Amino acid sequence: MTGIAQRRTPWQKFEARVRNILPFGLTVVVLLFGLTPTYIPGLAQITPMYTLVAIYFWAIYRPDLLGYGLGFFIGIIEDLLTGAPLGVGALTLLLTQWVVFNQQKFFHAKPFAITWFAFGFVAFGAALLKWVCIGLVAKSGFTPFGDLFASYLITLAFYPVIAWLFSKAQNGLTIVP
Amino acid sequence: MKQPTGQISRLGTFKYLAQRFAFLSLIGLTFALMLIGKADTVIVERARTAASDAVTPILRVMAEPASTISEFITNLQELGAIRSQNADLREVNARLLEWQAVAQELENENRQLRALLGTVNEPEARSVSARVVADSGGAFAQSVLITAGGRDGVAKGQAVVAGEGLAGRITQAGFRSARALLITDINSRIPVRVGEAGDRAILAGNNSPRPRLIYLGVKSAIAPGDRVVTSGDAGAFPPGLPVGRVVAADEASAVIEPFVARDRLQYVEVLDFGLTGILAETAGAK
Repeated sequence: MTGIAQRRTPWQKFEARVRNILPFGLTVVVLLFGLTPTYIPGLAQITPMYTLVAIYFWAIYRPDLLGYGLGFFIGIIEDLLTGAPLGVGALTLLLTQWVVFNQQKFFHAKPFAITWFAFGFVAFGAALLKWVCIGLVAKSGFTPFGDLFASYLITLAFYPVIAWLFSKAQNGLTIVP
Repeated sequence: MKQPTGQISRLGTFKYLAQRFAFLSLIGLTFALMLIGKADTVIVERARTAASDAVTPILRVMAEPASTISEFITNLQELGAIRSQNADLREVNARLLEWQAVAQELENENRQLRALLGTVNEPEARSVSARVVADSGGAFAQSVLITAGGRDGVAKGQAVVAGEGLAGRITQAGFRSARALLITDINSRIPVRVGEAGDRAILAGNNSPRPRLIYLGVKSAIAPGDRVVTSGDAGAFPPGLPVGRVVAADEASAVIEPFVARDRLQYVEVLDFGLTGILAETAGAK
């Protein structure tokens, strides 16, 4: 291993470093993207849970590069920025990672449709957990379930788009010349 | 490089245990944070303002494309209707000029009467314009991040208005950014007056685009179409800021269509009426 590393050009070293922070970096990008206003009537209400998609995707394909520590960190940053009760988003993302990490055999080399289908279950659990936690922790009590369900459906619809972009970004970097 | 398999499996076990430990302690940490957050500590608020101050410059750049596209679409839509709108505006202008004369007369009269009575004028508002760079919370909360903060004089409790009326209030002010809780948020409670009679009520958000009026008086005769304005009670807001219009009403409650829509918020104005002194004591009670 060390022999190969020494023969790497500076560009290759740089590329390797980018590759290693890619999952985290892209997750932060979608987090910020989710925050920017779209000015599309009604969409703000049902913003997709972008970070959930990102965390799930990387938990399947690069669990080594986006572990519990970074998952927690992203959840906390999201809670701080969205004004959600602190810790709720982090708990949701951590449990999502936990589920996927513990089902690695199931997710291994599965076609896209299967991972998307499985995301339907995982995301529903995550959304429900978040809803219950916010309902219990926030002073305001439970928010309308309809909005949450709409948000869940739109998250599910956005999954292929984000997964496609992520895999393109990943493949673009894995081909070492 | 070769390692005996026993060592590898021991290493594997160690790694597994370390991961498990990390997972469990992080889960514990999230619960601890939920409790700390529930107690409304200053530390959590500082962390929130620090985070929003840090990302606001990035969000500002990221909001640019959507903002440009939205403006472009609005321009196109307006271009189509420009002729008929022009004719309408001329008509409205003529009518408004008549009203202006009436208003000037009334203002003069008002000033004279005030002088006779010796009433103190309401404090003049100082306003700061800001851009909305983040619309966050999704289904769970309705608040926006704006690009003005403590350095521009923005402080907790100030009213946030957008062209047509009241949008929300500042709940957290950082150095270069601030968070405004929209009137539609489930945490929002605003004292208002309704209709010509000026019935007092509380406008309560419910995370839907249409907040409700609660604590209506027993004999209130609220009807659809009535205007809702801030009452200025409890020192939270200056009185008379337009909020919305009643769209449905029964004996116990009424549904309001706010003048300001969440998805059209692009620029807002933060009003400082110098009322924050009173608010400082009540600011904790959301």
